Amino acid sequence: MTVGLSKLKHLVVLMMENRSFDHMLGGLSLVMEGGKKKYPGVNGLTGNESNPDSNGKLIQVNPNAKFQSQLDPDPDHHFPGVDMQIFNGAPQGPGRVRSMQGFVKDYFTQTKDVNRSHNIMSYFTPDKLPVLSTLATQFALFNGWFSSIPGPTICNRAFAHYGTSFGQVGMDIFEILAPIMSSYERMLAAGKTTKLYYFDQSSSTMEIVNLLKNQPQIFATYDQFIADCAGNTLPEYSFIEPCYNDHEGPGGGQILASDQHPDHNVQEGEKFIASIYNAIRGNPAVWDSTALLVVYDEHGGIYDHVPPPDCTPDGKSADETATGTGAPFNFDYLGVRVPAILISPYIAKGTIVPGTEAGANARIFEHASIPATVTNFFLNGDAKRTNREAKASTFLDLLGDVARPDADLPFFTLGKH
Amino acid sequence: MPPIEIKVPEPAKGSFDHNRLAGKLLLSQTLHLREALLRHLKDVAEVLAINPKDLKTERDVSNYVQRATAILHTQARKPSEKPGK
Repeated sequence: MTVGLSKLKHLVVLMMENRSFDHMLGGLSLVMEGGKKKYPGVNGLTGNESNPDSNGKLIQVNPNAKFQSQLDPDPDHHFPGVDMQIFNGAPQGPGRVRSMQGFVKDYFTQTKDVNRSHNIMSYFTPDKLPVLSTLATQFALFNGWFSSIPGPTICNRAFAHYGTSFGQVGMDIFEILAPIMSSYERMLAAGKTTKLYYFDQSSSTMEIVNLLKNQPQIFATYDQFIADCAGNTLPEYSFIEPCYNDHEGPGGGQILASDQHPDHNVQEGEKFIASIYNAIRGNPAVWDSTALLVVYDEHGGIYDHVPPPDCTPDGKSADETATGTGAPFNFDYLGVRVPAILISPYIAKGTIVPGTEAGANARIFEHASIPATVTNFFLNGDAKRTNREAKASTFLDLLGDVARPDADLPFFTLGKH
Repeated sequence: MPPIEIKVPEPAKGSFDHNRLAGKLLLSQTLHLREALLRHLKDVAEVLAINPKDLKTERDVSNYVQRATAILHTQARKPSEKPGK
C-alpha cells in the first residue's frame, strides 16, 4: 500500500452535468510550448476532427465555445439522439461502426438551423476554463472515463450511486431491485460514515429522492460540506451535487445553477468546482487525507472524438420501446467520454491515465467505477453488486508515496479580476 | 515559493435567468420528487396539488423542489439557518 493510500480517510466525488471531454479539455492537446505539445499525453483534439452537417459539409471542431447561450436548445442526449451521434444513422444490426460522425446532424434536428447546429463542435481553450484545466494538468486526468450509458442523466447517475441503472436507459424513476443497495446504504450498513451533499433545498438531489425519506441522515447541503471540511468532520465517503437551477436565495439574492448543464453558465460551475477544491485544500488535515474526483455524468450531446468501447454487460436489457431506436440495448457498450480528474496531494503533477488510445494498456473507467472504488476501499469489496460493478476499474491506486509540497499546488481565488 | 494562484472569473452580469424554461432534467426531477411524496408521505396535499406539468420556468421548478425537499428531508436545515460549524 502506498503512503497516499494509507493516509486516505475521505473520498469525495463531485459529479457535474452534461459536457464532453473534448468540449471541456480537448483543447489541452493543442497547447504548444517550445514548438512541442505541452500536454502530449492528453487524448484531446488535433483541430482537424469533423462531422458532416445536414448539407453534407464537413464541419471542423472550433475553439469558440461560449459560457452560455450557445447550446440553446439543450442538445439531445437521450438514447435515440446519442445513438445518432455515435453511429451517424447507421442501420441497426451487427457491425455498426461507432464513427462519432452524427453530432452536427443530430443537433440540426433541434436547431433547424444549419449554422447553429455547428455549435455542437465547439470546444473551450484551456484559458477559458482555468479551474478545470489547472486541475487536469496538475493532478490525474483520465483519458478514458466514459458515461455508463449512451443516454441521459438519470440512468447515468444511477450507475454512480448503485453500479447499475436497473435496466433503465432514460429519465424515469426506477425501482431499486434487491439485493443491490446504493453506496450510501452499503456504508451505513457497515457502520461507516457517508453523506450526499446537495446544494440547497431549491436545487435538491437528483434521482435518488427515495433516500430523502428513507435515509435522511445521509443528506446535507453544500454549506455543511464547507463546514465539514473546515472542522475536519468529513464523512468517509461524500458525493456532491451542484446547483441545478437558477433561483433566488433565502435573502433574495441570485443563485446561479452551477451544474454546467446547457444552457447554465459554465463559469459558475468553474467557481463551484474551485470552491470544493479550496474547501478541502484549506484544511491541511483534510487535504492530506482526502481524494477528490471531479467527473461529469454524461456528454450532454456535445461532440467527442473517441468512440465508446465495449463493457461488461449489466445483465439487463432495455427493449426497443425503451431505447426508441428500434433495437434493444444490452448494456454492452459505454456512453460518450466525459471529463474526469482525480485530485490528491499524493498524485504526481501531470498524471495521465491512458484510455483507448493506449490499446492493450488502456484503463477504461465509467460511473460504476465509483461504487466499485467505494466498496473496495471502505468495505473490502463486501457488498452485493452487479457483475458490471464488480468488474469496473477502480482508481485509488493513482495515489502514490510522495505528498507534493504546498508550493507545487494550485489554489483558486474567486471573484472579479 | 508561494502556492500557484489561479484566478477564477465571475460569470457575466445578466447570467441569472430564473425565467429560463426548465429543461427535461429539471422537469423529471419534479416528477421523481412527486413520486417520492406519493410513496412516503400522507400529509402533503398542498404540494401535491401542484401539477408539475404546469411548471414552466426554473423559478417555478425551484419553488416546487424547495417545498418538496423541505417535507422529504426533515433533517435538513431551514434556508434561513446559517451553516453549522
